[in-house]
Amino acid sequence: MDEFFIILIRGIGIGAVYSLVAVSFNIVYQSSGILNFAQGHMLILGGVFASIFLPQHASVLTWFVLLGAGALCLAILMAIQGYITLLPLKSSVEQHSWLITTLAVSVIISALILITKGPFTLVVRDPFPPLRAFGVVTPAAYVIAPVLAITACLALRWFHSRTLIGLAMSALSQDLDAAKAAGIRVRRLQILSFAISGLVVGAAGFSAGSILTITPTSPINYVLNGFVAAVIGGIGSNAGALVGGPLVGVLSMWAAYNAGGEYQNAVSLALLVIILMFRPQGLFGRVSARQV
Amino acid sequence: MVTGTQASTSRPYPQSKPRGSFKLAGETWIGVIFIIASILIPALSGSDYWLHIFLLLNLYMVVSICQNLLLTDAGQVSFGQGAVFGVAAYTVGIFSGLHGFPLWLGLLAGLAAGIALGLLFALPALRVKGFYLGFVTIAAATVMPEMLNAFSDITNGINGISLRVRWMHESWLLGMSPLALLIGALTIVTLIAHNYLRTTALGRRMRVAALSPETALTLGYRPGVVRSIAFLVAAIGTSLAGVLYGPLLGFLSPDAFHFDLSIFFFFAVIVGGSGRLLGPLVGTAILYLVPNVLLVDLVEYRLLGYGVTALLIMLLFPDGIIGTIVKQIRQRKTAIRPASIDLRPLLEMNFPKKDQRAAHADEPAVAVKDARRQFGQVVALNNVDLVVKPRTIHGLVGPNGSGKTTLLNVLTGLNRLDGGSVYVFGVKANHLPAAGIAQLGIARTFQTPRIFEDLTVWENLQLGLDANRQPSDEMLLAAFGKLRQPLSECWPEQLSHAQRRMLELLRCIGTGSDLLLLDEPAAGLSGEERTRFATLLRLLRDELHLTVVLVEHDLSLVWRLADEITVLDAGAVVARGNAAEVKENPAVQKLFWGERDA
Repeated sequence: MDEFFIILIRGIGIGAVYSLVAVSFNIVYQSSGILNFAQGHMLILGGVFASIFLPQHASVLTWFVLLGAGALCLAILMAIQGYITLLPLKSSVEQHSWLITTLAVSVIISALILITKGPFTLVVRDPFPPLRAFGVVTPAAYVIAPVLAITACLALRWFHSRTLIGLAMSALSQDLDAAKAAGIRVRRLQILSFAISGLVVGAAGFSAGSILTITPTSPINYVLNGFVAAVIGGIGSNAGALVGGPLVGVLSMWAAYNAGGEYQNAVSLALLVIILMFRPQGLFGRVSARQV
Repeated sequence: MVTGTQASTSRPYPQSKPRGSFKLAGETWIGVIFIIASILIPALSGSDYWLHIFLLLNLYMVVSICQNLLLTDAGQVSFGQGAVFGVAAYTVGIFSGLHGFPLWLGLLAGLAAGIALGLLFALPALRVKGFYLGFVTIAAATVMPEMLNAFSDITNGINGISLRVRWMHESWLLGMSPLALLIGALTIVTLIAHNYLRTTALGRRMRVAALSPETALTLGYRPGVVRSIAFLVAAIGTSLAGVLYGPLLGFLSPDAFHFDLSIFFFFAVIVGGSGRLLGPLVGTAILYLVPNVLLVDLVEYRLLGYGVTALLIMLLFPDGIIGTIVKQIRQRKTAIRPASIDLRPLLEMNFPKKDQRAAHADEPAVAVKDARRQFGQVVALNNVDLVVKPRTIHGLVGPNGSGKTTLLNVLTGLNRLDGGSVYVFGVKANHLPAAGIAQLGIARTFQTPRIFEDLTVWENLQLGLDANRQPSDEMLLAAFGKLRQPLSECWPEQLSHAQRRMLELLRCIGTGSDLLLLDEPAAGLSGEERTRFATLLRLLRDELHLTVVLVEHDLSLVWRLADEITVLDAGAVVARGNAAEVKENPAVQKLFWGERDA
């Protein structure tokens, strides 16, 4: 029974991290049609930030201040990445240039972590005490992540429907050309969406740092699982991402417990293929009608 | 204008399928010389170390060529070619290294395993494309080495597999071992095969399926099938390189096939210049040799090196190294002089005397009954009836949004009806796949002409001839043959908008279809071009006995040309009849000229 609750609670906890990655995918995708391959690397950079700056016995206040600082750093970094990614699109010579530029950025980030920190696993010290529920002890980060995920989704919903900038961003996702014609400064909003995406994923990496595997090669796992979560929920749907993440998390946690850690990604891949074959628009996605 | 002499029957039509006349492109020659030199020079100088490095480079170049084929010819973003390579390599190791089966058996098994994985990638490619496929394949490339560890009873896990094949390394000819000769031959053959594929109908179809699936469908073949073939071809080449990896290195470990390897192949194509034949060779050489020569002591910087290189190349030279060079040369050569397609060979062609196209003599070419189609709340087709008599020009007119293009889409199977039925030459076509409908003998043009910039104007035309299933069209083919010479050096960017429309129309004629559906073909044509266009259409009807459905906004052209006219408004038929009848119809007058007696 303990095992069941461990898989469930920790699965949902780590799944919430996948949800957050999925949500950060969505933010960029909605405004530009770009899926950032380096999103998992940004998440891990949030964790690296925590491992460097978070002191051993940090107070709650310090933790919150550093959370904000970390998220802001990632927001700036992703704004820069967004600017670089959108540069070649001006001439629209190569439609899929972003596939390559974001992939290249992901390789560079991995390489930089390797050069500065070596191939070792970095440790983040969680200042909060572990919780005890359903008879199992759970590190606090497994609870913080779902809270953060839900908060992020609610905040984004408010932002997209209640603020002028948010509404303009929603317009981009509906019809880019029409938005352009209506006088919306598309490029600026797109870079802003990269920054907001960095804010979300940076906060996630910082606060869930203690339950992430932070090595130069681990980001790809979070990119993939985050993508699978996004596809299950339907790309572009944040509510879907909230469901998709925990689903992936629990399933891969179950696989890790019963078969071994090396099967986690295999299970996610199988899930991805099944969804794409049978319901490519995801659980909450819309079907696009027109082709010609 | 139409001369009836039989003179040109004796003149053989210049074959579009180059049997024996296949010429290697300049880039291929350079590539072949580079490959030979890369193996011969280290072999002659007796440096085992460099020979080893360059042989491995050659194997990687083979994979990159396949990646290039997949990415640019077939338009498939696969980040998983390293996994195909690795599975092929590992299977040889398991068979011949661990279990001591003879090497040839191991090689065959490796080939089969690699191809099987490559075909697995094709499976999701049938459903999804672009970044979806990229993620699926990168996930597979991540999982593959993990599985090598997970199934350590079979793969020997992190201990790896030793595979020593001594005879393959013994000096045999000019200091080269059988293995060196084999690898060199494989690289050369792969390069030439890619060059050759591009001159074939299959190669052209791959590019069309990649760039415009709907064009592929209307030319009568399924993009999914073509994509699967591309994955198959790429998997064969990649696996051939993979099975030689073990014998070359003598040792296999899971770490060698980390997903970085897949990304390396992808970047190699981009850096070299995607789409160029020589691109993958140059890209692989730079990305592999520079870190291995310059950064020997700084292994950790290797990753950074090619990440930065790929990023900079994409930002500064989006066409890649070879792509940029070729572009420079081409721009200097042809300072984009406007070109035009000479219609005379077609207008003056010798038409077959007797009617060879009597197959559909009496059947209506198109019969639409009670057609309904709704998009959300919009009723695009509201109980439309349409009968197009064979060997007539049928005008389809109406204001914007009246359902003309939807009707064409339904006729070609790109849209499906919610109710009613469609018959094409007497065959019920409601549920036929789009490619199947095209094969009944339908060709269509689009409002925005589907012209492919990377193909020459002649190759664009050839797409139609490739789809021609009527061997009896000798006259037509002969007439097209005369266009080959002037157009094979001509690129679409040299054509005006009107000329592009003409090119697409000629492509449709080339398919040998009995029914042409033309979506606003005269838009943007000058007066003189209009006259020639009208002459051509009449010729198609009277001499080739084609049926033409003409969607057009230029009403005077329609009144002049069409034998029968159907007027659509808001998805419903308002009037039908010949030009005189339709013109006098009050509903039509109201539609096009407003109320007269207001």
